[in-house]
Amino acid sequence: MSDWNLKDLQEWDDKICTIAKKNKLEWYPITYETCDYYEMIGNMSYHGMPTHYGHWSYGKSFEVQHQRYQAGVSGLPYELIINSNPCISYLMRENPLYLQILIMAHCVGHSDFFKNNSNFAYTRADTVVPRMRNAKKRIQSYTENPSIGVDKLEEFIDACHAITYQVPRWASPVNDIENDRKEYIKSILDLDELKPRDTKNLKKIPPNPEYDILGFIGAYGNLKKWQQDIIHIIRDESYYFMPQIRTKIMNEGWACFWHYKILHELDLPQKYHIPFLKSHNQVVRPHIGGINPYHVGFYLFNKIEERYGLEECFIAREVHNDESFIRQYLTREDCEELNLFSYSKNENENLVIDDVSDEIGWENIKKGLLKNVAGNQIPVIFVNNIEKESKTLVLHHEHDGRDLQLKYAEKVLKHVKHLWKYDVKLLTMIDNAPYEI
Amino acid sequence: MSSVFSHHNTNADRSASDRRRHKEKIEKAIKEGVKDIVAEESIIGKDGKKKIKIPVKGIKEYKFVYGENKSNVGAGGTSDVKRGQVISQGKKKQSQGNGNKAGDDAGEEYYEVEVTLEELAEYLFKDLELPDLEKKKFKEIMSKEYRRKGYRPQGIRPRLSKKETAKRRIRRKKAAARDENFNEEENFSFLESDLRYKHIKLTKKYATNACIFFIMDISGSMTTEKKYFARSFFFLLYQFLRSKYEKIEIVFVSHDTHVYEVDEDKFFNRGSSGGTLVSPALEYTYEQMQKRYNPKSWNLYTFQCSDGDNWISDNPKTIEAAKKLREICQLFGYCQVDPNEWNGRLFDSENLYDIYEPLVREDFKTTKISSKDQIWNAFKSFFGSAVEVI
Repeated sequence: MSDWNLKDLQEWDDKICTIAKKNKLEWYPITYETCDYYEMIGNMSYHGMPTHYGHWSYGKSFEVQHQRYQAGVSGLPYELIINSNPCISYLMRENPLYLQILIMAHCVGHSDFFKNNSNFAYTRADTVVPRMRNAKKRIQSYTENPSIGVDKLEEFIDACHAITYQVPRWASPVNDIENDRKEYIKSILDLDELKPRDTKNLKKIPPNPEYDILGFIGAYGNLKKWQQDIIHIIRDESYYFMPQIRTKIMNEGWACFWHYKILHELDLPQKYHIPFLKSHNQVVRPHIGGINPYHVGFYLFNKIEERYGLEECFIAREVHNDESFIRQYLTREDCEELNLFSYSKNENENLVIDDVSDEIGWENIKKGLLKNVAGNQIPVIFVNNIEKESKTLVLHHEHDGRDLQLKYAEKVLKHVKHLWKYDVKLLTMIDNAPYEI
Repeated sequence: MSSVFSHHNTNADRSASDRRRHKEKIEKAIKEGVKDIVAEESIIGKDGKKKIKIPVKGIKEYKFVYGENKSNVGAGGTSDVKRGQVISQGKKKQSQGNGNKAGDDAGEEYYEVEVTLEELAEYLFKDLELPDLEKKKFKEIMSKEYRRKGYRPQGIRPRLSKKETAKRRIRRKKAAARDENFNEEENFSFLESDLRYKHIKLTKKYATNACIFFIMDISGSMTTEKKYFARSFFFLLYQFLRSKYEKIEIVFVSHDTHVYEVDEDKFFNRGSSGGTLVSPALEYTYEQMQKRYNPKSWNLYTFQCSDGDNWISDNPKTIEAAKKLREICQLFGYCQVDPNEWNGRLFDSENLYDIYEPLVREDFKTTKISSKDQIWNAFKSFFGSAVEVI
């Protein structure tokens, strides 16, 4: 049995909110739901969304999580909160009171981040829950539609999921790509008194590199209505989640920064204070050989406060993503203190340390780190053009020194072909030479 | 500002249907992967609990990812890190030597799913049935079995049911307690009439038995590769029939110009350099069936694998023997294994597949295998046809 009831939570939450308010945090109200571990895994499989369309991959995700949990490989995250207004957060019934207090304080930090970080400007937190619910209903109706059915639907969703992260990295609304093109053309016409500057490029589709591959296919592909709808649903979700991918370190860092600050003002009884601190330390400890976003984020926000004051922390949480955050604030001293090093596979498949954080190495390490945060782990690929005769869709990979995994890329291209219905090719670099798939 | 608390009150297992769908995908992948079951050890005749590993592909979700030449950054904690330090040994060295195993190939996406033979049979044969015609002919054999059936007031001591007996006493006591003169304190003992014994009855049980004769040519022309196909094919047949019958026996008959009844190990591993005579093997099978497995009480199956070779002069005798077997067997299945079908056979019309052609009917089936991925289809042509017809 747990050592708390909803009333206890309410009381502690009141205290937490008072402290947070005093500290000028400004967050979406939070709805907490208590659930057991099984429901928790269920919610996690659907990214915490209270309703979400069904797809076998979420079943797979559940099985993996559940197996790992039961085998003791991994515990469950303490907290799961979604960027909606009001925020929805799940509290596991099995957790003791001190942990619930920690989680609630942590969630206030997240909610404040969702509401204030500029990357989230277009995520439309007010409507995300009904949007997802609607999407689920529509997809359900396609399953039941005899002219579509589960198999066709699934094949299509599989294909969309393969390029689901190929959306713009910067904060932007889910835009109408065809409309954008017209706007663009209009804009260059206007500038030069109705004479286009660059007639050669005027008819090029897309006029500029299009990073939203799904959106592009949705606008120009030969698709049925239900297929366009599914593309829209999945794009919407990708645009919604991209800011979270972009700000993982900051988001967790900010939440930890605040639950720790709140702890000090909360005046917890001794029996809660010590386990609270212990859990806090577990959360923000370094993962040897990896990057623990809680650890790095918490560390950096503390350093910022130390070096430039609390006001700077608030500015950082508003304007940065993980990449710009680290670029701006991570110093050599920090690299040394965090004992960061870079490593890669050598020809014998051994993992070997390339660089350590000393005078010569730290800048390289910082560069390396920037490549592995803020969604930069995902290759950047854009639609360059359509070949006129064959209607081949030409994709380009923005090569940054890292080669693509070709087997995967080939499989993904098959999916893209399924969506585009004509040939698709991808230009990239392998071993410093141009390569075409 | 304060938060709202509530219990997450849904009893629905929200991912249930997506999990089911995922499971279906795994099963499908297993079916597709069945041709890759590597028959390194003897699998026929092993009991159903033995686990085998099946490489399964296709459940991976592909995305654009970076390949080998990326580098990562990690935190070192308090440990001392140096340039050039090896932090993890690669797998390359260890995996050398079994390069033909699907799972080891870098970049190739396989899951190894571990299943028991029973589960495998279930995945494989869920949609397949014995042809209707055969099913009716199931031989029903009575065997006797003792089964529990209720309680009796008489019986022998060891079968005394303490629970039932105690219940009688309690019942009697409750009834007695209604009497005003009933005295709680008084000792309320068991009576002879409280005793109840478990009753056991002899019942007849219907059982279905089957015996499979596997016949294989081991003459010089049967290469290892052909035998490998034969083994995979026999494996499927065995597993399928095993899942349909309660009791199953297997007889392995190998032949060149002579006939040998052998155990499984020899059956697959022994070769000879001799020529081929088919009819003696079929005749031997017929004799043994008559002698050991009375066709009236056994479901008999004969499966023959060969590369099609036979002495021309033996063909008429072979046809006769096959006809005889056809009459007493539920199914006679012939499978011609020929990895290089195009590879010039001098007398094309003389191979067994064509010779058997006139005999083909519902209980006499022939098929050909020339590559691994045809094994499953060949198998289905034996047992799947009834499904398609219906």
